[in-house]
Amino acid sequence: MAESNKFIVGLWDHEEVYLHAIGHIRGKGIEIYESLTPFPVHGLEDALGYRETRLHTAGFFFGATGTTLALTFMTWVMTFNYPLNIGGKPYWPLPSFIPITFELTVLFSAWGMTLTYLVRNRLWPGRVPRIFDTRITDDRFALVFDSEKLSDKEMSDIKSLCKNEGAVEVKDKVFTENEGL
Amino acid sequence: MTETFDFTPKLKKTLFYMMGLGVVGILYVLLGDFITHAHNHHARLWANILANTYYFTGIGLFGLFVVAAGQVAYGHWQTMEKRIFLSLSAFTRIGGFMLVAILILGMLHVHTLYDSAISISHLKVVPEKYTTKVIYFGTAFWVGRVLLYATVWFLFSRAMNTFFARTDQTDPKVYKRSKILCAAFIVAFAVSESAISWDMIMSLDTGWYSTMFGWYNFASYGCAAWAMTILLVIFLKSRGYIKAINENHVHDLGKFLFGFSVLWTYMWFDQFMLQWFANVPEETHFWIKRFDVTYFKVTIFLTLIVNFGFPLLFLIKRGAKRNFKMIGFGSVLLIMGHYVDFFNYTFVEANWNKEAKAETKEESLKNSDKVVLYAKADEKKTATSDVTTTKENTAVVATEMKKTEEGGKGEEAEKPEVNFAGIGIGEILIFIGYLGAFLYLFFRNLAKRPIIPENDPYLKENEQLVVTYA
Repeated sequence: MAESNKFIVGLWDHEEVYLHAIGHIRGKGIEIYESLTPFPVHGLEDALGYRETRLHTAGFFFGATGTTLALTFMTWVMTFNYPLNIGGKPYWPLPSFIPITFELTVLFSAWGMTLTYLVRNRLWPGRVPRIFDTRITDDRFALVFDSEKLSDKEMSDIKSLCKNEGAVEVKDKVFTENEGL
Repeated sequence: MTETFDFTPKLKKTLFYMMGLGVVGILYVLLGDFITHAHNHHARLWANILANTYYFTGIGLFGLFVVAAGQVAYGHWQTMEKRIFLSLSAFTRIGGFMLVAILILGMLHVHTLYDSAISISHLKVVPEKYTTKVIYFGTAFWVGRVLLYATVWFLFSRAMNTFFARTDQTDPKVYKRSKILCAAFIVAFAVSESAISWDMIMSLDTGWYSTMFGWYNFASYGCAAWAMTILLVIFLKSRGYIKAINENHVHDLGKFLFGFSVLWTYMWFDQFMLQWFANVPEETHFWIKRFDVTYFKVTIFLTLIVNFGFPLLFLIKRGAKRNFKMIGFGSVLLIMGHYVDFFNYTFVEANWNKEAKAETKEESLKNSDKVVLYAKADEKKTATSDVTTTKENTAVVATEMKKTEEGGKGEEAEKPEVNFAGIGIGEILIFIGYLGAFLYLFFRNLAKRPIIPENDPYLKENEQLVVTYA
């Protein structure tokens, strides 16, 4: 996916105003590229219209992989490949498989979900992060708009809209090519 | 927004009919015993009464625990359901003393459920592994203990119901003081809840012990209490009360129901797997008794499927926990599932103790020795050297040893003949009767004061509860 390098960044200093602004800006049909806040804001996902994450579905399938792998491997070893009589237990001692099956299920779903999350959010090693404003970890709520394909008129519209909605600062942000993805 | 539950005569009448059905169930079981000429001291009836009393007492006890734990932890999520949880304990006030009565009747040989435990204190020569249990199951200590729990529950149930009524009317200082009461209850609950499961259920089989049995029971009636609360919330809402409680609150309860179901399965499986794998005779004979009878083998795995499989597959979704029909159906299923779980515990033992069907006291004692000896049968040699010293026990041991040698295995020699196998009309009717009594006491307690505590400091926070995750 080709990423753009030109952005407009609007900064707010109050979460309530910020939430209202998101509603109005989205109501005008303007696409928001990214929203950055110093802390989790209640109702932000709804305001941005995000879909429910599908990470847990992925987690289920990773877990199911772990369950299947554990059960088939132990069955193969204990029942077919090298059957041993341990304490008079059957050659397919299902109850004693359960703890390991459980552990592998948890392990697979945890690793799978973590890696999926990191890949999906482009957080692989060596990535140079794009910082839109240093104060988004301090006291500013930022809205980022992709301005690569926008005309000058549209850009000035967005800027004035942000100002009207209570943004304390609106600025352009241009990244160079090698500055992360 | 003061709204007090109106305990209408119509509802009262319905609940009285349910209790009447319970009486019919008792008569039905007695009639069955009369027709089949069963000389087992009405073991079926007493097993029913024990299972139901224990089950509903536990549900009420757990209700108190939820409020106490929430209060101590500065919780706000339970504020509006608080009176419902507290009212669950109305049955516990009576149930505790009913358990004492069941125990005393067992001591008086009215029924034979506890014979194996009672008899060990009458043994002339006590096998080594029962030396400490003789003290633990000494008549006075045993009854006194259960009586103490019953009294403690009674007092706490009353104290918490009245105290929480007071906190809502006065200043926050009183509210803060309730934390002391709640902390005290949590300590009392932790001890008495574990101990009552040993005293009333685990003692049905003296030889067997499971170190996680207290936890297991905690999870068991935890599930039942959450399910009961969800159903009562849905019922009260359908009657037009507690409009402020919405699907967010039910979602919270549903999450607890799901979580406790998983906890229950964890306990169930650990208890089973460890004993299955370790293969220690005094532990495994508990399972042999169950797996020998096909009916119980089926019900045991059925409870596992219902109590774990259903929540795992159908209650894990966010939508299911917020859908009153789905969560209501799940609650009904889980209440029944956990009843069958306790049914397994008491009924297998009642079948087993049918062996001790003696008419006189002496015979009864002699017969119940056999049950004790049964557990010992695996260690033949020590058993003979230990017990043959007295004249009284010699005969029993001789027949026992003979049986053991003939049968090859101790278990087969002692295999009980099952005269009642499963859940019949009697069981269902008695369960309905108990449910009627439970609900009658619940609603009577709930009608005393407004359902939602008005001046609770956390009320505003609870009203705006939004569950955004899971």
